[in-house]
Amino acid sequence: MNLILRFVRRELRSTEARILVLALALAVASVGAVAMFADRVKVAFANQANVLLGADAMISGDRPLPEAFTQQALAMGLKVTHSTRFGSMVSAPAKDGGAAKDSALSDVKAVSSPYPLRGEIEVHGANGERVPLKANVNAGEVFVDERLATRLGIKAGDTIEVGKLTPRVAQVFAEEPEIAGNFMSASPKVLMANADVAASELLGPGSRATYRLQVAGDRAQEFADTIKAKLGPGQRLETVRELRPEVRSTLEKSEQFLGLAASFAVFLAVVAIVLALRRYLKRELDTATLFRTLGAGQRQTLMHFVGQFFVLALIACALGVAIAFAAQAGLAFAVRGLFASTLPPAGWMPLVKAFATGLVLLLGFAIPPLVALSSTPPVRALRRDMPTASGGGALAVALGGAAVLSVVMMQSQDLKTGAIFVGGIVALVGAATLLAVALLWLIRRFVRSGKLAMLGGARSWAYGLANLDRRRLSTALQIACLGLGVMTLITVGFVRTDLFSAWQKSIPADAPNRFLINIQSEQVDALRKLLPTTQGTKPAAFYPMVRGRLIAVNDKTVSAKDYSSEQAKRLIDREFNLSASSTLPPGNKILSGEYFSATEQGVMSLEDGIAKTLNLNVGDRMTFDVAGDKVEVKVTSLRKVDWDSFKVNFFALVPEATLAPLPKSYITAVHLPAGDNKTLPTVVAAAPNVLVIDVSEIMTRVRSIVDQVASALEFVFAFTLAAGLLTLYTAVIATQDERRYDTALIRTLGGTRSQIRSALIAEFSALGGAAGLLGVLGALALTWVLATRVLKIEFSASPTVWIVGFAAATGLTLLAGWLGTRSVLTTPPIQVLREGA
Amino acid sequence: MTPVIPDTATIKVSSQPSSNAPPAIQADTLSRVVPLGERQLTILDNVSLTVAEGETLAIVGASGSGKTTLLGLLAGLDRPNHGSVAWHGETVSSLSEDALAKRRQGAIGFVFQSFQLLPALTALENVMLPLELAGANDAQTRAQDWLNRVGLGERVDHLPKQLSGGEQQRVAIARAFVASPSIVFADEPTGNLDTDTGAEVVELMFTLNREQGTTLVLVTHDLELASRCHRMVRLARGKVI
Repeated sequence: MNLILRFVRRELRSTEARILVLALALAVASVGAVAMFADRVKVAFANQANVLLGADAMISGDRPLPEAFTQQALAMGLKVTHSTRFGSMVSAPAKDGGAAKDSALSDVKAVSSPYPLRGEIEVHGANGERVPLKANVNAGEVFVDERLATRLGIKAGDTIEVGKLTPRVAQVFAEEPEIAGNFMSASPKVLMANADVAASELLGPGSRATYRLQVAGDRAQEFADTIKAKLGPGQRLETVRELRPEVRSTLEKSEQFLGLAASFAVFLAVVAIVLALRRYLKRELDTATLFRTLGAGQRQTLMHFVGQFFVLALIACALGVAIAFAAQAGLAFAVRGLFASTLPPAGWMPLVKAFATGLVLLLGFAIPPLVALSSTPPVRALRRDMPTASGGGALAVALGGAAVLSVVMMQSQDLKTGAIFVGGIVALVGAATLLAVALLWLIRRFVRSGKLAMLGGARSWAYGLANLDRRRLSTALQIACLGLGVMTLITVGFVRTDLFSAWQKSIPADAPNRFLINIQSEQVDALRKLLPTTQGTKPAAFYPMVRGRLIAVNDKTVSAKDYSSEQAKRLIDREFNLSASSTLPPGNKILSGEYFSATEQGVMSLEDGIAKTLNLNVGDRMTFDVAGDKVEVKVTSLRKVDWDSFKVNFFALVPEATLAPLPKSYITAVHLPAGDNKTLPTVVAAAPNVLVIDVSEIMTRVRSIVDQVASALEFVFAFTLAAGLLTLYTAVIATQDERRYDTALIRTLGGTRSQIRSALIAEFSALGGAAGLLGVLGALALTWVLATRVLKIEFSASPTVWIVGFAAATGLTLLAGWLGTRSVLTTPPIQVLREGA
Repeated sequence: MTPVIPDTATIKVSSQPSSNAPPAIQADTLSRVVPLGERQLTILDNVSLTVAEGETLAIVGASGSGKTTLLGLLAGLDRPNHGSVAWHGETVSSLSEDALAKRRQGAIGFVFQSFQLLPALTALENVMLPLELAGANDAQTRAQDWLNRVGLGERVDHLPKQLSGGEQQRVAIARAFVASPSIVFADEPTGNLDTDTGAEVVELMFTLNREQGTTLVLVTHDLELASRCHRMVRLARGKVI
């Protein structure tokens, strides 16, 4: 062990060992920093999205929740609030002493203070603007929303009847933060104090109510994870993701973008490590030979080298983790202004993973060549030209592949993604090497054709190009590695710009921000005239909507207890919104089956996600109870719905004729520009029963998440760029020693500096050009796959990225190559020759 | 028993020892054949020789005559296709790779034409290496002592690239002798050095060899260097002539 440590100390004096440690440290650092930063950003996004929930986490139950949940939350230092939500008739006292009372079925929420834990209740100010309300609901008071106030003709200071109580209306509010719930719920909202519930006598045995515990604080996620396992029947953990598909989709895409950046960092790291390792091992061959000559057995040699590599890996990983921590802290500091709240503290898991990544990568790639190294025949000390054992052959590939697979799995925690990634790398390396060989062949033909001579008789250029051909295999590998590095950088650049803006554009600026529901058939025409047109010309579209409860599947009666998933139970408990469309709505895509024709009857197209939740497939029959009538339909297609569009989307669609005899209302969505204070009052005056739902807050949240991902990506990109540049550098210097030796030899034989300079420029330009071409082609293919298969957004190839990528690859290779070898022009040739090839 | 070594003036060309001391190395009908495309190339053909303890032997011959191959076989760095090699009466050519390596540890020293110093190690660390591999506790003191003996006591912390060719070969000589081996093999020890430096290095090597009573086998094409040995073996086309 002492010898190993002494050797590590000695080895670290060499450039090769330092580059290897640096490559590994940078790999660990980029993986760690990206993962850690992405984690923090993801948690921040989730927190922001949770504002829509009014808390960081929420547990709901059909019965009062156990006190133990609250105790646990308090023990974890979380802020806690309880609420009870139920439907009830609310009445205004009879006016003018008459007997007739105005009543409305309302969505009553009894809350305890403080409420809400996240976000704010908002009221309209004097000028129509929204201002946050800083007040709690006290016992004997209620807050009512503007719809109820309009409906019942009441204002602040009036009293209303809620069960046996007659509380005073303390506030009329515009919106409360918990808008993530089912916004199709048509009832106006009432907030009352939890302490008044018993006295109201509204909740007797058997009453339908939802009891909630909302929590907020740093350890909310931990609390949610802990509680998940303790949930009993009828209890569920609510998250924004489950409640709002648009938010879920945005969060998932954000995570995909950040995850992609982290995967690229891993990929670049692998290339850099393999290249640095190759150069280092070449040097270690002499050490191994000497060890064997001086009497070290194969086993002793192997143990020594494995030990040495392990210690080197530990040093590199520790260094990498330290850089990662500092870098992500720097990133977080740099982007502090971009996030609404401070970023949550970093977890240690990404660093542990990054550390493990470094160890697994280095040892995975190093052990097979080390085994080969330890069997170096001692006679090589006498004959340097002796063939030596290769880098471990198939074993090296297998173990290296397994190392990358395990690392990618650590990142994605998914075998399939890992396998695709590793398969992709293997295919890319193979394709890149083939392409590099083909390019070399073209260069060879070009040099031999004499056309170069005609271009000014540059003999030294011909020599430089011939040099590439002479080291055919290592050049091909070098072009492949450089090309892959360039490909990754261009792809990340592309993801950052084009793919990302394609995603941003998928939420159009004029996306609908108000939904109008509960519109009666006879009001449709009048409202169509009042509402602004969409896209400048088209009148707003109105969709019929029928509410029905799912009562049987394939003639078998179903109830919530037939399903184990909470989401499925909820779907069965609530009413489905069925709508009709004779054609497949825009933004929808058929995944299986065929969309029905307008003339068909008794058929349905279901959203893919809901079908999975309810375990339904094409061919299954569903029976709904719509206001006492039974409606039976057969599922004929499954659809994917583009939730990002913010358009009116439905889980279940049937032909128009199916809905014709059923009692229905209509829904529409419009975009009202900020400052439009006229349209809605006119609509409400014309159709007081219509419920207007404002989703602008959700959209603002989603847009802000998208913008923040953009900023985060900028920083992550900078890190990937650093890893990429190191990869390029290691690839360029991979053949530097040979090149230095050859150049010194040419100088000895009378080559002038300008001839050598031309030869080197020719060589590195060709190398960079070939790598650039390969990188651009690879990046085109990769981004196409990413856009169409992974992120599912429109692919558009902007020529700027490709041209800049190609030029930068050529230029950087030329620069790195030149910097690495120019010293040979000033060093006496004898010194280089003495140091050996 | 002190071996009886003949005077250098009476150098003879022979495969038999020049003294009656017990044999340090015995090679019996050694052959080495390597595949060359479809045919076999015989590099060494039926070579037998004995080197007595304390004797100095030069293997001479033209380029490609098989000198270095013979040295590799005698030193146990390579294996013969036929025949055997024994050190101090023990046949080593049939030992396993690891057992053979164990026998070499501390018992055999090497001086190479290209010095074979590890570039990242200082002069002192290079000399310490054989002792460290053998697990010696006093590696540093002994290595320092040997560097003093070869005249590089002031250069212990220098890396090979900071030393001249002659100095590098002196470090290599110190490394060859530091573990007190019974046999030292040298492959063209002056091949990479100019005449004057080469002469100094040879002087040093022979002086140390005499002081240590080591058996020295060296390969050279330099007859002047060969003439400093008790005896020489001449090879041509893989055969002793």
